[in-house]
Amino acid sequence: MKKIYLFITTLLLVTACNNDLEQFPPNIASADSLTDFAGVLNAAYFYQLGTVTPMAVMGDFRADNALMFEEPYPSFDRYNSDLLDMEDQFFEPFYIAAYRSILSTNTIIANSTSTTDVGEAKFLRALSYFKLVKVFGPVPVNLNPPVVNEDTAQLVRQPVADVYNNVIIPDLQDAIAALDNSGSKGRASQIAAHALLGKVYMQMGDFGSAEIHLASVMSDAAAAGVTLQANFADIFGSGNDLNSEIIYATQMSASITDEYGFTEFTGWFIGNDSKAFDPLDTDLSDAYDAAGDVVRKDLTVDVPNLRSIKYLSEDPDHDFIEIRLADIILLLAEARNENTNASGAQSATILGLLDDIRTRAGLPSLSGTATTQATVRQAIADERRLELAFEGHRWFDLVRTGTVDAEMGQTINANYYLFPVPISEILASDGVITQNVGY
Amino acid sequence: MNVKTKLTLIVLSLFSIVAFAQDNYLIKGKVVSQVDNLPIPGVNVIVVGTTNGVSTDFDGNYQIQVKQDDVLQFSYVGFKTQTITITNQQTLNVSLSEDTSQLDEVVVIGYGTQKKSHLTGAIAKVKGEDVAAIQSTRVDEALAGKLPGVLVQNQSGEPGAAPKIQVRAASSISGDAGPLIVVDGYPISGSIATVNPNDIESLEVLKDAASAAIYGSRGANGVILITTKKGKSGTPTFSYDAFASFSNKYRKNILKSGPEWAAFSRQEIAAGNWDLSQIDPAFVEYRLSAYENSPGAISPEDWLFRTGSQISHNISAKGGSENVNYFASLGYQNTEGVAITQGFERVNARLNLDIKLNEKLSAGLSFNGFTSDRDILAHDMRDLLRAYGVHPVIHTAESIAFVQDLNNQAIALGLAPFDDGYRGGVGPSSIFDLVPGDRVDDWQYGRANNGIGGSGDAGPAQKLDNADLWEKTFYGNVVTYLQYQIIDGLNIRTTFGGDFNDTQRYYWQGLAADSRARTNQTDLDQTDLKRTSMLGETTLNYTKVLADKHDISAIVGYEFQNTYFKGTSLTGTNVPYTDVVNFNLLDPADVVTNERDETRTRNSIFGRVQYAYDNRYLLSASVRRDGDSRFGSNERYATFPAFSLGWNVHNEEFWNDNVVNLLKLRVSTGSLGTASFLGSYDSLSLLNAGPTVDGLGFLLPVNANNPNLTWQTNTETNFGVDLGFLNNRLRLSVDYYTSDIKDMLIRKTQSVVNTGYNSIIVNGGDMTSSGLEIELSANPIQTEDFNWNFNFNLSTVNTEITDLVDVDELPQVQYGQSGRGPIFRNYVGGEIGEMWGLETIGEVEMRYLEDPTRNPNNTSGESYVVDQNGDGVINSDDYVKIGQATPDFYWGLNSNMSYKNFDLSMQWQGSHGAEVYNIDPLYYESQWSGRLVDSFDANNDGIADNNGEFYIGNRRQTDSGIQDASYIALRNITLGYTFKPEWINKMGVTNLRLYAAATNLLYIMGNDYTSYNPEGIETTNTGYAGPTTYGVQVGASPIVRSFTFGLNVNF
Repeated sequence: MKKIYLFITTLLLVTACNNDLEQFPPNIASADSLTDFAGVLNAAYFYQLGTVTPMAVMGDFRADNALMFEEPYPSFDRYNSDLLDMEDQFFEPFYIAAYRSILSTNTIIANSTSTTDVGEAKFLRALSYFKLVKVFGPVPVNLNPPVVNEDTAQLVRQPVADVYNNVIIPDLQDAIAALDNSGSKGRASQIAAHALLGKVYMQMGDFGSAEIHLASVMSDAAAAGVTLQANFADIFGSGNDLNSEIIYATQMSASITDEYGFTEFTGWFIGNDSKAFDPLDTDLSDAYDAAGDVVRKDLTVDVPNLRSIKYLSEDPDHDFIEIRLADIILLLAEARNENTNASGAQSATILGLLDDIRTRAGLPSLSGTATTQATVRQAIADERRLELAFEGHRWFDLVRTGTVDAEMGQTINANYYLFPVPISEILASDGVITQNVGY
Repeated sequence: MNVKTKLTLIVLSLFSIVAFAQDNYLIKGKVVSQVDNLPIPGVNVIVVGTTNGVSTDFDGNYQIQVKQDDVLQFSYVGFKTQTITITNQQTLNVSLSEDTSQLDEVVVIGYGTQKKSHLTGAIAKVKGEDVAAIQSTRVDEALAGKLPGVLVQNQSGEPGAAPKIQVRAASSISGDAGPLIVVDGYPISGSIATVNPNDIESLEVLKDAASAAIYGSRGANGVILITTKKGKSGTPTFSYDAFASFSNKYRKNILKSGPEWAAFSRQEIAAGNWDLSQIDPAFVEYRLSAYENSPGAISPEDWLFRTGSQISHNISAKGGSENVNYFASLGYQNTEGVAITQGFERVNARLNLDIKLNEKLSAGLSFNGFTSDRDILAHDMRDLLRAYGVHPVIHTAESIAFVQDLNNQAIALGLAPFDDGYRGGVGPSSIFDLVPGDRVDDWQYGRANNGIGGSGDAGPAQKLDNADLWEKTFYGNVVTYLQYQIIDGLNIRTTFGGDFNDTQRYYWQGLAADSRARTNQTDLDQTDLKRTSMLGETTLNYTKVLADKHDISAIVGYEFQNTYFKGTSLTGTNVPYTDVVNFNLLDPADVVTNERDETRTRNSIFGRVQYAYDNRYLLSASVRRDGDSRFGSNERYATFPAFSLGWNVHNEEFWNDNVVNLLKLRVSTGSLGTASFLGSYDSLSLLNAGPTVDGLGFLLPVNANNPNLTWQTNTETNFGVDLGFLNNRLRLSVDYYTSDIKDMLIRKTQSVVNTGYNSIIVNGGDMTSSGLEIELSANPIQTEDFNWNFNFNLSTVNTEITDLVDVDELPQVQYGQSGRGPIFRNYVGGEIGEMWGLETIGEVEMRYLEDPTRNPNNTSGESYVVDQNGDGVINSDDYVKIGQATPDFYWGLNSNMSYKNFDLSMQWQGSHGAEVYNIDPLYYESQWSGRLVDSFDANNDGIADNNGEFYIGNRRQTDSGIQDASYIALRNITLGYTFKPEWINKMGVTNLRLYAAATNLLYIMGNDYTSYNPEGIETTNTGYAGPTTYGVQVGASPIVRSFTFGLNVNF
């Protein structure tokens, strides 16, 4: 009998085992425990990958460089509300990737004690907001680390000027102060911050401030290891990733998957996605012919097959070049033209800035071919198109210079200069985040 | 001594002789069961009116002191009591018949049993043999249509896939978590698939809160109690069941193949319904004759679907000695699905031991093992079926010659050569390099503008042959119990057990599945997860009948449960194109490894009291307090009370039971909780590590810290009436319930700007639901030869959202596939998961297509829509409610007939009022890059010129996708023949039955439903947020009709 009681008591004790209700996973750290933010910075760079292809597609397919084929993708080539059909493929992944990058940078900026980390974070935050503003116009601004906030009032879209003046420009100025040029071209550097700030001012139309920063890029270039490639072909191809002409590139890798899950930009331009069967718009190849440009034409387009071969193949390892030296040279010429060439007197000098690019393209210098501010402007714009085709610039250049109608050959409602805001954001914020007019 | 005295003495001695003759003597006998003539040990044999009583021994023998005219009473649970008056016989053998009276039936309730007459809650019961009779793979499939208030829905249709079980309305809002499954008192962590249907003795479903409240935090979705078969003292008996069945998809092909499309096109053109004025007639003719003449053209449906088969074997043994009973079973089942590559194989094993250690102490041990191997269709069915049936799967010499000839015709017409369509891939790059045996790719037949090939995709055979998806499960469960009787009526019982569930899932997609052979589209993934749980429970039980009127039972208990998840997952990409596939052939950078190590704990105490007075007044009250580690640190504990009352009116003296012999009124109310879909650590904010180009990155945490995350509580009140007529030949039960759900756990969508993720988990609001359940059972014909009984049940469900904390409406969500699909709205005053969209008034006619022959099965893909607010613009302001996926009511009808040795049973099931948004037609009917003629809307203002109506593409949230998901199905019909005992007893067989059956012999779908399975619902696409976004269908596996032949043998 006693044995039975002992047995039962043991069993009762066993079943009365105390199990702790406070459980934490043994193999994952709590978000509050971070002290070293290098990993978060890596994540901020990682999130940039999701913005790459959408911007590349928006930049060239929307403009006169490339065409879509299979419905509903040709909505890119129409300027009406049809473009809403493309939201889940492009605009939503872009939006999500940009904001995730921003939130990661906010965490670093709020908590990190390393000035270089904060500097890189500010560069990335400015880059993300710059991309958002170019694509959507006014956007919600969040400068806080991720926190659940059910109050939708702070999601109101801020006017573009406020985003530039309150976020992008101060961030880039801080980045310039905090960074140097010792790191890789896939990471933020001082020269990249200068270059980006120059581009920002150009986008805003502030040519004076732009010129200062663009000029400082030119003067710092050699010391920072940034020089023009001797051959146009040596700029592209994943074997040439992070070559000397590149000031900042978003690094891509076949092993890393990102927010944007479909064909990458190298696949779109080379015509491998059946939705853009023969992507080349003959308007571009005609432009090469009109300029007598053979070198760049042969390296950029394949006219018989109506596609672009700039990136050689559909290559998931190919980095996306955000800023390269030729881009800065062209912008500097443009800025100088606006600032100092009202009379047309500086035309030759300004066009002379483009000589290195022209020589590389096997073309004579543009000096002397245009003598008024307006014609110089056009000459630089045309050169820009041929040099930077299929790098995601064209549409945004047309919008910022106000030459959309002229170049596209049709009257396009200004509402469609911007892209539609993802519907899920409008629904989730109960309409506080509004859609762009026209969509 | 005088004569008087002598006479008196003689008479007295005579009396004493008589008295002596009336003395006790030992009577002997044997008690057997009338059913199988086997002896019954343990039968109570008493002399009525005395305390003289014995029990039969192991062989059914007894002996007892009796005298003449004594009345002997023989009684045993489950048998009709017999009373026999002694007439001086020396031996008395008795044959007891089984007592099938429903009044004394015992029903399993949580942590115990209760007499059905004392029941106050809403509990539905199914006998084990009814479950096994349905020849299904899984227990839950067999329940369809049997129980009121329990809706079983085949969401995916694949063999071995878990159906969704919904008990009343409560679980309709708790994510996809199903009811709690308790097997022999142990809540298992495996799924119900681990239980072999042949092992079930009875199955009860606790539907109302009061019955399920004793399970507290896990009972909110209902509780299914399964009692498995136990041993019986006596010689071992064996049982063998086997069946084989063949099956096909129920519905005929819905898509036209190339030749059928050409014939249809010609017919439409001849009738003048189509307008081909915009297309070169030579091109039309070229294309139509290509459709007609393409050698070996096979419809994707004919390629994908086949005749499936299933075989099942099950053998069990039961027996026991005086102190030990055992039940053992072994089952095997192998299914080949109706779609190629689908299959399911399983093995079940069980051993139940019940041991009586001594008079007061009993123990038990049970083992259950289960292993399954499921081959799953490795590619989305919607994507496979939307290919065009214009070419064969593998090239033959004829098809190659055809392709090359077609190419020449195209060139002659001035169209691009087919080789221009080549975009990379692992096959030949030119149609002139093809050899017989090569797989066909669409581009080889041209594109839409120069041939009859479809997209630039790989052909469906390419996609399926280069992908593999399977899932293996190993499951084991060990439970022991020890029960000690402290005093009469009071016992203490401890149960301790553990279960172990090991799942392995593997997915491979190879390079050749992608038409462009892009390595980053390849996958090699493997997930291994071991889930173990341990549970210990101790209860103190007291049952007593006092003064013959007061029937009391009480229970108090304590329980703890720990669940552990340990697993790894490997995700690989850039898989090399080799014959052998192995992780070590991949570049290390291409394989991402993830580890999972989680613990969930739970503590509870509970108690219950049940009281019945004179079998007339019934009362039950219970309370349970649970704590769970998954909740926020502020909200870990909750208390769940329940209370119910009942009144057996028919037992009252004033009740005249001539007509109505059973009248019972009952009411119950209780409160339950659920943790719903919560993961182990959802209230914590954890770092999310992942690879980046620069090395390790800490990505944004998925969850935000939420110390206030707590239970979802369901308070339910149930009113019920049970009626019995004509001595219970006709029974009717009506239950009405209302339930109020507070602190609903939902994934609330929010802007990405705040946390980087578009949803957060919150306790977001209140919802009420109600319903009516009617169950009617009758035994209209009961004669010696012919018996017919049937059971009909009907259930209704209504849900309404009553409060959403601070807002009137949850953020709207668009869910479906690639932007197609309705907007889901959840707002105060509406139902949950309402689908909203534009109202259409008809499809744009085919005559407005520029090229109607372009893609087989294409339609205009546009519909005329209503501008609801008359503002001249079609936008989200014009959305109206277009449907909702919960049925208005569902019913089941089970009928059993037996005539002599034949038996015929039928099981019907129906569901009405549910709508589903069917995405599939938006793909297979789409004309892709085709256009409408310019004259349809000349000024491009969105208004059709022919009738002045607005029009828009079907894919833009219109109600063209809404289809009626109602159905009526003859789920099962079985005809069986039981051999006469005389013929088979010589072989040592006690029972032999052969049967033929059909599943889904008749399945009537809604008129406008166009795919294969109205029950299918898509729940796996990104953005799925639970019942708030429930109702979209994408590529559901078909309803299957099968024919079965089987036998049952007992020996």
